[in-house]
Amino acid sequence: MLARIMRHDWRCLAADRTARLLVAVLAAFVGYGVYNGSAWVRFQRGAVAAAMEDQERRLAELRRDAAAIDPKAEPPVSFLDPRTPGVVAGSRGQRFAAAPPGPLAAMDVGQADLYPFCFKMTNRTKQTFITTDEIENPSNLLAGRFDLGFVVVYLFPLLILGLSYDLLSAEREQGTLAMTLSQPVRLRTVVLGKVLARAALILALAVGMSVLAGLLAGLDLSGPEVPARLGLWALVVVAYGAFWFALALAVNALGRGSATNAVILVASWIALVVVAPALLNVAVTSLRPVPSRVSLILAIRDASAEASARGSNLLARYYEDHPELAPAEAAPVPADFLTKLQAVQGSVDRTIEPVMARYDDQLARQQDLVDRLRFLSPAVVTQEALNDVSGTSLARQRFFLAQVDEFHRAWQDFFIPRIMRRERFAPADFDAIPEFQFREQPLASVGPRVAEGVIGLAIPALALAALGLLALRRYRITG
Amino acid sequence: MIARIARKEFTEMARDGRFRASAAVVLVLLAASIAMGWAHRREVAAQHREAGRATRRQWLEQGAKNPHSAAHYGMYAFKPKMPLSLIDPGVDAYTGVAVWLEAHKQNDFKYRPAQDATALARFGELSSAAVLQLLVPLLIILLSFPAFAGERDLGTLRQVLSLGVRPRDLALGKALGVATALALLCVPSAVLGVLAIGLASDVYSLPDDLPRLALMAVGYVLYLGTFVGASLAVSAWSGSSRAALLTLLAFWVANGLIVPRLSVDVARRLHPTPSSLEFGQAIDRDIKQGMNAHDPADRRLADLKARVMKEHGVGRLEDLKVDFAGIALQESEEYGYRVFDARYAELWGTYARQDEVQRAAALASPLLAVRSFSMAMAGTDPEQHRDFARAAEAYRRVIIKHMNDDIAEHGKGPGVEYIAGDDVWAKVPDFEYTPPGVSRVLARRWPDLAVLGGWLALSSAAAVAAASRIRVS
Repeated sequence: MLARIMRHDWRCLAADRTARLLVAVLAAFVGYGVYNGSAWVRFQRGAVAAAMEDQERRLAELRRDAAAIDPKAEPPVSFLDPRTPGVVAGSRGQRFAAAPPGPLAAMDVGQADLYPFCFKMTNRTKQTFITTDEIENPSNLLAGRFDLGFVVVYLFPLLILGLSYDLLSAEREQGTLAMTLSQPVRLRTVVLGKVLARAALILALAVGMSVLAGLLAGLDLSGPEVPARLGLWALVVVAYGAFWFALALAVNALGRGSATNAVILVASWIALVVVAPALLNVAVTSLRPVPSRVSLILAIRDASAEASARGSNLLARYYEDHPELAPAEAAPVPADFLTKLQAVQGSVDRTIEPVMARYDDQLARQQDLVDRLRFLSPAVVTQEALNDVSGTSLARQRFFLAQVDEFHRAWQDFFIPRIMRRERFAPADFDAIPEFQFREQPLASVGPRVAEGVIGLAIPALALAALGLLALRRYRITG
Repeated sequence: MIARIARKEFTEMARDGRFRASAAVVLVLLAASIAMGWAHRREVAAQHREAGRATRRQWLEQGAKNPHSAAHYGMYAFKPKMPLSLIDPGVDAYTGVAVWLEAHKQNDFKYRPAQDATALARFGELSSAAVLQLLVPLLIILLSFPAFAGERDLGTLRQVLSLGVRPRDLALGKALGVATALALLCVPSAVLGVLAIGLASDVYSLPDDLPRLALMAVGYVLYLGTFVGASLAVSAWSGSSRAALLTLLAFWVANGLIVPRLSVDVARRLHPTPSSLEFGQAIDRDIKQGMNAHDPADRRLADLKARVMKEHGVGRLEDLKVDFAGIALQESEEYGYRVFDARYAELWGTYARQDEVQRAAALASPLLAVRSFSMAMAGTDPEQHRDFARAAEAYRRVIIKHMNDDIAEHGKGPGVEYIAGDDVWAKVPDFEYTPPGVSRVLARRWPDLAVLGGWLALSSAAAVAAASRIRVS
């Protein structure tokens, strides 16, 4: 019986001009969203490629200059001398630590346009490179992007509500419900059949369209874990859609008229998609405020001022602590400025490390709270899950930043002893300069969070559906 | 007659539980957003003032050093938080809060508050502006979609028109009824807002803040009026209240969600933003064309030497009364200024053109016009951010010039490096920033008001036209 109702409903939908229009609109939005997302991916790839090109060019120049230099002659400009490790580390030989766009970034730009993805490594403190941002018009960032994630989170529920706000009420208002129920069929079966028919159709279309659009946008299926990520994406979309269908079912079961149903559903949409996230944001930022960055700036300044004032002392102490690095009597490069600078930077790094750690810690605690509170709004659960699956989340950025930290340490381990020993950089050393290798955030660390999200969507969906079916018992078929 | 219709419409709404519930929610949200905006702005403004003092103290107490080292040490400029940002934070979360002013380089603003936020922030802040731009129009739609269509569904429209009521009066009366209900909501919030602004402003900015607030209110009245007109027009035109509701909701979604995002992407496609690397490389290339005061082998340095010696009428550099290093440093800075001016003008020009595209899209979405106008009045739009950036850059040049002049004047010494002290740092004046006045902002942003006026005129005309051609069944 259920199957027969579903088939009938599909036929009705296929004949309905509004339904076809809505599906066409969905297709247009999906297509445009992915088109926009892939524009972002192209931009990020282009910027990273340009950085790599810049890096190769500089290193080639450095090698050329180093080969051309007369080993006995003093260079005319010491701060450009390719043989000085401090010069190589801090300007001419700098390498980039860059992250490629997330595996599904073309589908969901998420937070990616807010975070820097390319850092120029240096022997100085982390603060000197970590704050380099991508430049962007603030009004563009304010409005956000029209990506597939936006279509799924905001527009997809509206489409579902548009298709199902009068699921039952329309039949009653047209008088067909009484006629249907004169047949040997239960009301619950009819409603379930209608909802399942619509849900199956719309969810299949939404998933199919997103995957197809993603593939057309050049998603790399052979990339590691990309098919699995696509599968998770589909799961999230289905769970989110199911929630809205269940809500529509429950509201229809209340037995009000179509217009009232529409008002209730739109109000729920506003409450869950627009208002709740904003309120959660307020709750999170007031319960777990991040300390002001302004005071960070001042702390760093005070630390560097103090360290600079004690520059020569710090240098002396450095050599006391690291006697193995003290230069031989006749050090070849008289670059006292650079060694002093390095000692000062080291001290600044040590002083501000706890301050920085406090920020990271507080940010992590804030995210923890979001992770717990997100279940109050299916829109937030979905957005976070889509960001996670796509590799455009805060978590992935933190994973990347940890690698940048590691690279910074490797960079310093390589250069600082050479700087402090006042060595000269040999041409062979250029090949040994540390290189950054990006590692993608493994799906294993993303999966559980996404699974949690899917469960967090499925439980309220099932509860709503059950409540709706239960309430149908008291449904008045006429009037 | 109009008054009577308005009264009936208003009484009906006031008795409707749905209206009372949703109005209460909107009122609470408005009040809460004002209170939170007030607290947030007070905290941030105090922080930035304190930081301004601290950076000045750090500058003055940096100790004895060569003035050029001091120029490299530099100073931070912290963006002031405008009093009206408590109503409309505008792009504040997406512009950095501080910029470092140092020798040789014009820096970008660092630390965008949005970067320290979770994914929640992307859903939007709960500001009064957001409530007025998104939620109140929805309330209007929910209030007035049945205005005509509902009466027709019930059959009362036939009765009313048979009494000889002119359809235009009916439309006006209903509009007034909705407006009164809205006023009940917005007037207390506005009073609360004025009080908050009064508490947030200091004595000097209040005479500027109140006109800004008043103009902002005008913008919102035009915007919300548009929705009243559009709702009545659609309600009169539609066959059923269901159709009216769906049409109006589609308009609301397009206005608030779709067109704003579409227009951003279109703007970016028409006027692409360069990547920060591209931008930095272009500046580096240009700077390399100029003179490098640190490079003794630079040919332009030799030219400058010759010119300065000629100006001072001496044959040898040693005979100069001033220190040549200071002059050379200043000369290369001046070249840098030309590069930065040109490159930043180009970048900001791109942004401005992107913003223009978004404003043009206001012809399809009045939200874009009111958003741009409201931010401008709050002093939180991109343009006023750039105004501050320009002021900070001008101040950077003052610092650097003081340092270079001091080197030129006193740096000439016997062989050892010239070291200056606190008295020299104190010669740099404090950084004073005056935001552009309300008249200047209005002179720039009146087109937004004109667009909103156009929308209101159009929707009212549509309402009247639809009402006079209304079909009874």
